[in-house]
Amino acid sequence: MGRRTMSGGARAAEGTADGMARDTDDRPAGGRDGDRAARREAIPARAGNDPEAGDASGGLDRSLFRYIWRHSKRDQILICAVVLASLPLYFASLDLPRRIVNEAIQGHAFEKGNETAKFLVLRLQMPDWFGHDLSLFDGFDVDRFELLFGLSSMFLLLVLINGAFKYWINVAKGALGERMLRRLRFQLFSLIMRFSPDALRHTKASEVATIIRDEVEPIGGFIGDAYILPAFLGTQAATAMTFILLQNVWLGLLAAGVVGVQFVVIPRLRRELLRLGRQRQLASRRLAGRVGEVVDGIAAVHSNGAEAWERAEIGHRLGGLFDLRLRIYRRKFMVKFLNNLLAQMTPFLFYCIGGYFALKGQLSIGQLVAVIAAYRDLPPPLKELIDWDQQRLDVQVKYEQVLQQFLPERLLGLDAPGRDESLCGRLAAEGVGVQEPHGPVLANVSLALPLPAIVGIVSDGGPAASTFARVLARRTVPTSGRVTLEGHDLSEWAGAALTRRIAFAGVDPILFPGSLRENIVYGLNRRPPDSAVTDAKALAEAHRTGNPVAPFPADWIDYAQAGVADAGELDALILDWLTRIGMGEEVYRFGLLGQVDPERHPDLAARLIEARIAFRERLAAEGHAHLVEPFDPARYNRQATVAENLLFGVPTTTALTGRALAEHPVVRLVLDRTGLADDLVTMGERIAATMLEIFRGLPSGHPLFEQFSFLSADELPEYEAILARRTATEASAERHGTSAFERLRRRWIGLGRYGSADATRLIALPLAYIEPRHRLGLIDDAFRERLVEARGELRITLDEAGLGGVDFYDPDRVCAAAPLRDNLLFGRINQSVADAVETVTATGTALVQEMRLAPDITRVGLDHQVGPEGRFLSGSQRAVVSLVRALVRRPDLLVLDGALSPMGENRARTVLELLLERFGRENSLVAVLPNDRVADRFALVLRAVGTQIHGPEAPPARQDDVPRQDAAARQDAAAGQDAAVREEAPAAGGALADGPEPGTDPDPEEARRAERDAFAAADAPGAGSSASGGVVPAGAGVAAPAAAVSRRADNETGPEPARVEQDVKA
Amino acid sequence: MTLETEVQSLRQVPMFREVDPARLKLLAFTSERVHFADGQRFFDRGDAADAAYLILEGEAAVTLDGPQGPIRLALLGANALVGEMGILADQPRSATVTAVVATTALRIDRRVFLELLSQFPQIAIAVMRELAHRLEMTNQQLAQTRTG
Repeated sequence: MGRRTMSGGARAAEGTADGMARDTDDRPAGGRDGDRAARREAIPARAGNDPEAGDASGGLDRSLFRYIWRHSKRDQILICAVVLASLPLYFASLDLPRRIVNEAIQGHAFEKGNETAKFLVLRLQMPDWFGHDLSLFDGFDVDRFELLFGLSSMFLLLVLINGAFKYWINVAKGALGERMLRRLRFQLFSLIMRFSPDALRHTKASEVATIIRDEVEPIGGFIGDAYILPAFLGTQAATAMTFILLQNVWLGLLAAGVVGVQFVVIPRLRRELLRLGRQRQLASRRLAGRVGEVVDGIAAVHSNGAEAWERAEIGHRLGGLFDLRLRIYRRKFMVKFLNNLLAQMTPFLFYCIGGYFALKGQLSIGQLVAVIAAYRDLPPPLKELIDWDQQRLDVQVKYEQVLQQFLPERLLGLDAPGRDESLCGRLAAEGVGVQEPHGPVLANVSLALPLPAIVGIVSDGGPAASTFARVLARRTVPTSGRVTLEGHDLSEWAGAALTRRIAFAGVDPILFPGSLRENIVYGLNRRPPDSAVTDAKALAEAHRTGNPVAPFPADWIDYAQAGVADAGELDALILDWLTRIGMGEEVYRFGLLGQVDPERHPDLAARLIEARIAFRERLAAEGHAHLVEPFDPARYNRQATVAENLLFGVPTTTALTGRALAEHPVVRLVLDRTGLADDLVTMGERIAATMLEIFRGLPSGHPLFEQFSFLSADELPEYEAILARRTATEASAERHGTSAFERLRRRWIGLGRYGSADATRLIALPLAYIEPRHRLGLIDDAFRERLVEARGELRITLDEAGLGGVDFYDPDRVCAAAPLRDNLLFGRINQSVADAVETVTATGTALVQEMRLAPDITRVGLDHQVGPEGRFLSGSQRAVVSLVRALVRRPDLLVLDGALSPMGENRARTVLELLLERFGRENSLVAVLPNDRVADRFALVLRAVGTQIHGPEAPPARQDDVPRQDAAARQDAAAGQDAAVREEAPAAGGALADGPEPGTDPDPEEARRAERDAFAAADAPGAGSSASGGVVPAGAGVAAPAAAVSRRADNETGPEPARVEQDVKA
Repeated sequence: MTLETEVQSLRQVPMFREVDPARLKLLAFTSERVHFADGQRFFDRGDAADAAYLILEGEAAVTLDGPQGPIRLALLGANALVGEMGILADQPRSATVTAVVATTALRIDRRVFLELLSQFPQIAIAVMRELAHRLEMTNQQLAQTRTG
């Protein structure tokens, strides 16, 4: 009795006895090979001055148990102590039932004629083999009933107390495990931040994600039991063992011998199991990595038609995984079988040999019985221990596999404090060399640059120029030589200082999901808010698990670094940059399509209502009132879909969006109640019939389907079947009548007029119907009237249901779920009037300008979501975001390596002009140039030739020139530059030949000047100028005019919104 | 006025006379009905040809700008198709078309029209037949002017 206190019954019951408790601490799990042992020796040497890596190598690498002990010994000991403290009470509760029966009910306590008996004699009923009970208190005198009730109440009390103990222990163990898991995960993540470039090259994102998410998960579950369970159960098993030994040394030795065999044999058998386990873990991690790769590169998979190949590849992997798993199972259950056999061997020997001794008279029968009884007490804790041991092995394997990814040699050193001085002065490369796996990229480069400067590195087509730029940006650490500033090695600077002072923008902008703004200020998220986490509990937990204590989410933005005072100014700064670069208009468009949260933009929300009214008045004044049909709660909007008219708002859940509306229970309830459901079914039939008629014969996937049909090509057969059922039903009704019996019969043979599923499918169709556009003649005034009634009822019913899900239109309120543009228009454009969109757009544009709404709208545009990896943006936009992210940081040194090339020719030129104007006085600019075309614009020019960097050369014509100069001088300079190049070119070979690089076409000087003038005009303050053209407050019927990116230069020639709009339509 | 009436109008156009009604319905369905106010332009000479128009109601004038103001070349009434040559030849508009009273027209988008042509040989053949017919007419006129 009472041995399974700790079990909690949750552990998997497998194996009866496949090994005994072992002192696991510090013992390497089986199966290490020499190679790993050697590596382990190498680790402490590197980990010496690196606490985190020290953790990784010492605490993490050597043993999971050491790691657990280091970070949770206090908790482990506390829980152990509580478990021990709970034991006497637990044993008492096991003993009580016997006493209730024996002493109180059967009256054994009153046997000798006693009227009273002692109550609350505290006795510990120990296991039989322990011998006598322990008496603690002599108790009160009570009679039989009092004794019965007393003992019963005590039993109840003990049950409660034991329950409470168990509750506390379980929670404490769970919390302990989760804390360790949190610590482990956080540590692993922190280590990822420090992966060396070499390690990163070999790292697959999805594999690392799998490690942190899945592979460490079981470790957390195990940690709570890591010490407590073996300590507790081991003691129990050892006690039983000792008892057997005391009874009979030989039988004891026998039992010990069998257990010993288990000790020796089972781990050997398991070694193979561990090896397989490791393989499996690696294989499944690689599977995750592979799936991640395929998903990331899905475009390439499709464009190369490699789907079948990829499928086969994954199928092969899965087959391998299955094989491994099968081998593991075979091995595992074989081990289990052996284990059971050995465990059953002991009783066999006891009976056989013990019986022999007993018959011979060398062992008393009593002893034999006691030994066998004691042995019966041995298996339960043993079994638990074995389960625990299996879990331990499993977890340890996982743990080791995880560690392999985080060995210190894969990590960069910790950031140490160092210099933090501005990067001005003589920057010198001294014998800098960079060795790549395939050979040297830079060899012994020595040169000096006086910073601040504007430096161009002209590439010869090889990697040297880029690599040198990366060395300057500290993105690449030179393998030999050093870079110094005023004689101090740059590595003396603190890492944090350098990353603040140097900005780097490469050819591949890296964007995170989030808004434009979040992506742009990403580099300013460097100032943890002063206050720590305010929630004391969260703070304590963070401390306990080695997690950061800085609050999150919070405002981490370092406004001082951007040179602004607050978020508003920062927005203005960002918009200023975007406008100058020429993306202001695009952001303005994002704003028009963006949503206005009245909570966040109360001013704009209020002004939008104003503008909405002004818009209407203005249209009326221009005689264009008929071009827009406003949203009116009491009227059916003919230019809007049936669904829009029904909801009279914008759905915020998918359950109310599109066709799902037809399935929504509340909507259906209202439609049925108002009888509209029948009308909609009839409309659906007619739409389906028309679509079937006119789209039949078009191949599926034809663009006309996508653009015009209510049905997709795949749905045609389905709707055909629905209509056929209807025809059959009606024919049958005509022939056999409509009696209840007939209806039943028809339903029986599958001809119920419509199953409700059919009805739903049909109702879904007219939801998108707009009479003036689709012209099927389905809607009459009566229908409109009833629909408006249903609108009101739906709103009430939805409100009553309390589900929300619709942001209703309200003439006096901003509809937060609708695009800003729709809020401004608050109605739908009448598309059947020629040029309606253009006319309304022109009016809207004029209004926005007049009311000076553009800056606010553009700010809303900063909330535009960029999507995963910025995929909602164009390549050019991504590049701009990446560049502005670097610019708002106001770096001492900005290094561009192909950052402008995705921007397209015109914009790249604009941006270059802008940068040349802004840099060179306090901050330096280093740009890698694909060729000589714009080299003359740089004050200092370096030339990459093979693995060498030559220069700097300062074109004589431009040495002390500001970027703005008249065209003639520039032309001269260019000519001079070309001559210089010709002199020097032979070494570079043909690599300097003109390539199709952006911003480098042999454009006439005039075009350049026009561009520059355009740029100069853009200097005019405020983002307002961005609104000059192409505002598109069109109705929802018009597709988002994403294609319409009208160039700034166009706008400057005079705003002509109608033209722009026509471009949009084209 | 519904799709059906538009199909009826389309059937009046010689080019579409022999096309299957279901196809005409598709053509009508994929086109837009637009209203022009009195004096509103369909398109100007030199504009890109992005659509043909079938006049459903009202009248439109085809004009060319001359030295003494616009010269009216023709007045188009209901069921007249205008601008179809432009979208077939992919050339800028050769004349200006203006509504002279409030006019309703069916705007047949160029892209959609070409899509239909490539998809349904029957329509393509009908168009070819009409064009060949017109060419023959022109040839005859030319012959008459030469002889006359």
